[in-house]
Amino acid sequence: MKIELNVNGKDYSIEIEEHLRLIDLLRDKLNLTGTKEGCGEGECGACTVIMDGRIVNSCLVMAFQAHKSKIITIEGVEDEDIKNAFIEEGAVQCGFCTPGMILAAKSLLDKNENPSEQDIREAISGNLCRCTGYNKIVSAIKKAAEIKRGGRNV
Amino acid sequence: MNLKACYRPLTLKEALDYLEEYKDKSKIIAGGTDLIIKLRKGNINPQVLIDISFINELKGVLEVGEYMEIGCGTTFYDLASCILLNERLKGLKDAARSVGSPQIRNRGTIGGNICNASPAADSVVPLLALDSILTLESKKGKRKIYLKDFFKDKGKTDIRDDEILTTIKFKTPTKNQGLGFYKLGLRKSLAISRISFSVFLEIDDINRIEIIRVASGSVGKFPMREYKIENYLTGRILDEDTLNTALEILEKDIYERLNGRNTARFKSIAAKGVFKKALLKALCLAKGGGKIED
Repeated sequence: MKIELNVNGKDYSIEIEEHLRLIDLLRDKLNLTGTKEGCGEGECGACTVIMDGRIVNSCLVMAFQAHKSKIITIEGVEDEDIKNAFIEEGAVQCGFCTPGMILAAKSLLDKNENPSEQDIREAISGNLCRCTGYNKIVSAIKKAAEIKRGGRNV
Repeated sequence: MNLKACYRPLTLKEALDYLEEYKDKSKIIAGGTDLIIKLRKGNINPQVLIDISFINELKGVLEVGEYMEIGCGTTFYDLASCILLNERLKGLKDAARSVGSPQIRNRGTIGGNICNASPAADSVVPLLALDSILTLESKKGKRKIYLKDFFKDKGKTDIRDDEILTTIKFKTPTKNQGLGFYKLGLRKSLAISRISFSVFLEIDDINRIEIIRVASGSVGKFPMREYKIENYLTGRILDEDTLNTALEILEKDIYERLNGRNTARFKSIAAKGVFKKALLKALCLAKGGGKIED
C-alpha cells in the first residue's frame, strides 16, 4: 500500500508492506538509521521520534498509521543547543539512548523553556539509559534550557 | 504476521462497514501500544487491521447534561490535560497520567485500555469507581453496558467481533463527591501496576458515607468493583474504627480471591494501604480542598 508522509521537512510518497512499523520505514526504507531499536516493546524509548508534535515510540506505530503525518527524527533536529549541551555535560556515553533522549528533550523544551528538574525527569521517564545514571542527561537538558533562555552563548 | 490489508477509515460508519465485512479476521487498532506487541509476538494473527485513529468523532471529551462522555479514541495525554474534567475527577487524571510513559500516553487510548482487559489497566479502575457506561456500536445498532459487567475473564470482554466501543460515560461528580486513585508500581514510569485502587465517595457534613464505590486493579483476573467493602462502608460514619474494620474485610476478601498464588499475602496486605490512600484522596476532594501527597 502507498502512504504519504513528511519526514524531517521532506515529503515522501512511498510503497510499504502492511506489516511494517514506523521504525522499519524510517531505518530500512528511508535509511534514517539514527533512530534506534532497543526493546521493541515501548519500554526503552530508544526508537523515540516526534510525530505531529508529540513523542512516540516508533516501534509501536504501524507505518500505515503514519499516513499524512509529520515526523521528526534525530537527523531532523536542527537545535544545536541541545546537542552541544549533551556534549558539554558528558551526557553521551555509548550513545544508543541519545537520539531518543534528545527528541524527548526537544519535545519538552519546545513547550517549556524553563523546566524544573521534575519536569525534565518526567519528560525523559520513557527513555532508558544504562550508562550515565541520568544525572548528566538531566544537567544537559537544564543547560540547554538555560542557553535557550539566553543565559549564555556557547 | 499475516496481514493482507490495512484500512484507515475516516468515519465510524466506514469503520463499522469494514468490521462487518471482516469480523474475526480483523482487529481494530487505535494507539497500537498493546496491539503491535501482540501482533509481533504472534498472540494474535489478523488478516486485516482497521485503524480507527483517524476518526475524529471518536476522540475527545464532551459534557452531555449531567454526564461526561469520553470518546474511545481519546489518548491518555488528552485525558490527563482535559480542562473539562474538574478537580473532583482528579483520580481519573492521576490514573491517565500514571499510564506507561509520555510516549505511550501520546498514543495509547482509553478505549484500548478497556478493550484489552488487562488486569492492570490503570485507567479502567477510576472509570469503574465512576460506574461508567460503555456504548458499543455495530452495523446492527447500539447497545449500552455497564463497565462493571463488561469484563468476563483475563483479557476477555463482552464485545462482539462486529462491535466497536465508541464512548464511555459517567455522571459528573458534584458537591460532596470526589474520585481518588492510587497505584503501587515497581518503577515510576512504565510500571505495570502491582496494585491500584480508585474510590468514588459522596460524604455528608457529619462524615456519613452516602455513596462509595471502590474499584481495584491487579488483584483479580480483571479490574473489578470491591462490593464487600462498599456494602460495609455505605451509610456508616467514616472514623478510625469503621476504617479499620473495612480494611480487615478488604484484606480477607482479596486473600481469599488470590488464594494459592504466592502473591496473595503480599497483595492482600498492600491493598489495604493502597485503598486507604485512594480513599483519603477521594475524601479530600469530596470535602472540597486539601491535598494529599503521594
